[in-house]
Amino acid sequence: MAIHPYSTVPQRAWHYSYLIFCAIVFFFLVAPLVAVIPLSFTSGAFLIFTPEMLAFDPEGYSLRWYRLLIGDCSDAVVTTVCSDKWVRGAKNSFFIAICATVLATTLGTLAAQAISKPYMPFGKVIMAMMISPLIVPLIITAPAISLWYSELNLTQTYTGLVFAHTVLGIPFVVITVTSTLVGFDQSLMRAAAGLGGGPVYNFFKVQMPLILPGMISGGLFAFITSFDEVVVVLFIGGLEQHTLPKQMWSGIRQEISPTILSAATILVLLSIVLLTTVELLRRRSDRIRGVTGR
Amino acid sequence: MAEESGPILTANGIPLKVSLERSMRQNKLKAVGLVSVPFVFLVLMFVIPIIMLLVRSADDRLVNDVFPRTFEAFKSWDQVDLPDEEMFKAVVLDFQESKPSERGRASSRMNYAKSGWRSLVRKTGKKVKDVTEGPYKEALIKIDKRWANVETWKSLAIMESDWTYEYYLNSIDLKQNSDLEIVQQPENRRVYNMFWWRTFLVSIQVTLFCLILAYPVAHLLATLPLKHSNLLMICVLMPFWTSLLVRIVAWMIMLQQEGVVNSTLVWAGMLSDENRLAMMYNYNGVLIVMTQILLPFMILPLYSVMKTIPPSYMRAAQNLGATPSLAFIRVYMPQTLPGIGAGCILVFIVAIGYFITPELVGGKDGQLIGNQINYHMRNSLNWGLACAMGSILLIGILALYWVYDKIVGIDNMKMG
Amino acid sequence: MSAEDILVSFQGVQKSYDGEQLVVKDLNLDIAKGEFLTMLGPSGSGKTTCLMMLAGFEPATHGEIYLDGRPINNVPPHKRGIGMVFQNYALFPHMTVAENLAFPLQVRKQMNKAEVAERVQKTLDMVQLGEFGNRRPMQLSGGQQQRVAVARALVFDPELVLMDEPLGALDKQLREQMQYEIKHIHEQLGVTVVYVTHDQSEALTMSTRVAVFNDGVIQQIAAPDVLYEKPDNAFCAQFIGENNTFVGEIMSVKGETCEVKLVDGSVVTSNKIDAASAVGSRTTLSLRPERIEVNPSAKSKYANAFEGTVKELIYLGDHIRTVASVCGNDEFIVKIPNSSEHASLSVGEKVKLGWTVEDCRALDA
Repeated sequence: MAIHPYSTVPQRAWHYSYLIFCAIVFFFLVAPLVAVIPLSFTSGAFLIFTPEMLAFDPEGYSLRWYRLLIGDCSDAVVTTVCSDKWVRGAKNSFFIAICATVLATTLGTLAAQAISKPYMPFGKVIMAMMISPLIVPLIITAPAISLWYSELNLTQTYTGLVFAHTVLGIPFVVITVTSTLVGFDQSLMRAAAGLGGGPVYNFFKVQMPLILPGMISGGLFAFITSFDEVVVVLFIGGLEQHTLPKQMWSGIRQEISPTILSAATILVLLSIVLLTTVELLRRRSDRIRGVTGR
Repeated sequence: MAEESGPILTANGIPLKVSLERSMRQNKLKAVGLVSVPFVFLVLMFVIPIIMLLVRSADDRLVNDVFPRTFEAFKSWDQVDLPDEEMFKAVVLDFQESKPSERGRASSRMNYAKSGWRSLVRKTGKKVKDVTEGPYKEALIKIDKRWANVETWKSLAIMESDWTYEYYLNSIDLKQNSDLEIVQQPENRRVYNMFWWRTFLVSIQVTLFCLILAYPVAHLLATLPLKHSNLLMICVLMPFWTSLLVRIVAWMIMLQQEGVVNSTLVWAGMLSDENRLAMMYNYNGVLIVMTQILLPFMILPLYSVMKTIPPSYMRAAQNLGATPSLAFIRVYMPQTLPGIGAGCILVFIVAIGYFITPELVGGKDGQLIGNQINYHMRNSLNWGLACAMGSILLIGILALYWVYDKIVGIDNMKMG
Repeated sequence: MSAEDILVSFQGVQKSYDGEQLVVKDLNLDIAKGEFLTMLGPSGSGKTTCLMMLAGFEPATHGEIYLDGRPINNVPPHKRGIGMVFQNYALFPHMTVAENLAFPLQVRKQMNKAEVAERVQKTLDMVQLGEFGNRRPMQLSGGQQQRVAVARALVFDPELVLMDEPLGALDKQLREQMQYEIKHIHEQLGVTVVYVTHDQSEALTMSTRVAVFNDGVIQQIAAPDVLYEKPDNAFCAQFIGENNTFVGEIMSVKGETCEVKLVDGSVVTSNKIDAASAVGSRTTLSLRPERIEVNPSAKSKYANAFEGTVKELIYLGDHIRTVASVCGNDEFIVKIPNSSEHASLSVGEKVKLGWTVEDCRALDA
């Protein structure tokens, strides 16, 4: 509904209110995330914009909460508890997320390959099963997993968490890789086989380079899922499996300090990097396959 | 082509289907081989746990395992008069041969059937080792008078079977009385229906708000030239990619008493300093935060549907004499219905399973059913009840997904 | 064809995708070494399926395929050593042209790097793409991509090359040019080619033999000239080249010839081809438009001469396409060569049309 020379006044008014409404919604989506960033540099101890900050007084800004975040406890003025929990949490999160991502990407790609074959028996059922961890809410998955994993002695272990997060990541890989495979020209694999390459060789040499963007973006989804996941960690993680989201969780519930904002800022930046990567990958895969447009 | 009746045969007389099956077997085996590893992994690490949750919600063997003789004797009791000496003896023997920890867990379960069991079992457990010979009836009644109450014994009926739907009844504020009739919980213990209702209400409201906010935005994204819409799309996707906890923290900054929104309103003179709005740690906080978090789930399906509607329809409608608004309502909107349906169901499903957001920003009156599952799983340790609630939720969600699948197809799910 | 000359042999091959319908019904076919065999047929006739079974991408539901005397049903595609050109070329988009060509040589591991590079260059030169080795397939035109696909199928010296409608995506002029190039490459290298197409002129131009497929069955297999001039059945006559048909009933049989009574009552003397037809059975007469003479000078030359009315004249340069109404057929086509002494006709004119017994073939109904 664009504006034309013949548009009536009410139509124009309607059009502008529509644009303003959209602007407000975009603001609603993004503003909270943007507000976090400057606040994380506050020199005060509370989660509010101090008068100094609003006046852009350098005094109002500092890196003290970032120092606290990396376990530098030299700041004597800070009264909140200083520990290496953030650093430890980040290390654990990266470790668990990377393991889960590798597993989920491998298993998800295998499953997607099989499901995409037209002669796969029960393909639809298996597809539904592979996606089900995405459908079942975490508040059901987490208790269920905690009941079963305690029987397997997997609670309070890294293995248990990695497995649980792998389960949560598989649907993303299956979805992205199957949709990439839909666009994949199967005659390429036939050509490769006809030219004498074995199935495994052909997968790595011909198919994987072409579906890699799909695998990577599925993998990134799996990574971010694991990296942000807190419910399963609460249910089956022990003291030792202290992850970054768990630290944030307890930070929010106990003593909410600007340290959380510094952590949040870093996570926002991380998500921007990941989002950009996925977008670039998508364009790259379009380009390789010769899809024009954009 | 020979159109004979009966199955078509190959040249050497084998039915064609059999022959086809044979020739395709190798391909199928390969595909099955590929899928077997992820399949087994998922069954082992996800499907079995879910099945266990379902089983656990109806599993009632806990008490039977601790008091086997009691329930054996219970079968021959007329359930009218006080039981005879045999049954009292069975109780004493069961007590003497079980560990206190086992009795403790069992008595928690017994307490759900009739309050008072926990203390009765604990008290009896302490003194029962002194009872070495009959008459057991007097001995037990001497330990606690409640053993002389027929109602106490009758409540065992609820626990007799290995399976129970007691937890399901409990999770909707019903219970079985000792005559095995289904009755309402006493007034002061009716809590869960309120949580179910609130969960439903929050989900409906969030869905509605999301639809209202998302529809114009999706329309804008779908009609703008790609160059501009790409940038705006990032605004939609960025919250999608950001950690849930980060978004909650961000909202705390915005909505708290001293937060950005309140401060701005006070600064602008629209609010006096002492009347700052309470937007956090209550029902409203949950609504606002969940709406923002779930908004992309509504925008994306709407966008993908609107993207496929060619502008020529609107032009044609106007060319045929409709005003822009009439053309929009009669021609454009009906075509976006699948998107509306898909987005609404998706948002609703995700919303009813929410737990983190209400836990952190809900305060007292923003708690949802997910929080109750969490509470019974991790704090009160009433796992049966937690599992029953989870099962009800799960079945509801699966039913809604079935509808979703009918509308769009699960495999069409898009993620940015 | 002697046993050692046979490279490929289909024996009793059947194929079904759904277990209800046979796509290939009972295929028995021998392909000789060095032959250029074309499988020709309308879409859905089973020709591509045969090619896919030969390449190993589809299992035969029943029957056996032999390559050089060995049964290959259980040999996976990558061990068959057959070159193949795909309909959409299937060039690997993430590799350069040279890498695409090097692929089959690398997987075989029989050559060192320098030898591979040399072979690749030689093959690229053969298809006149010597300078394009570093380009990506997407940067080439359709015709160039087609050449790369051919080069890739040939680079590892396969004994057998399969081509699945390789020219389908090209425009007419380029297609004709490529037809000759492929034909020349075939003659030059002496490889056996099995070529699938639905374009009959392509089949006639390139092949040593053509197998005409319809409904999962080979209707006729013969050299192009035989196929054109002596079709065995109505389908082949219709499918290849232009063709006039009459439907009628056999009145009498005399050795190789028979007399057929058409619907309008006129009697045509024809060459009896379909062995099954006897007196009283229905038959289709097939007659090529260029084998008909207009107003024949000596009437005795033709056993069949009928009067017709000219309905339409279309000037096509080298010949004039004339539509006439003869013996109850309103769409009877006659090609009059544009020679110096050709008859000049006008619409509505009555003409005499004559043809020989040999050219008029009585086929199946």
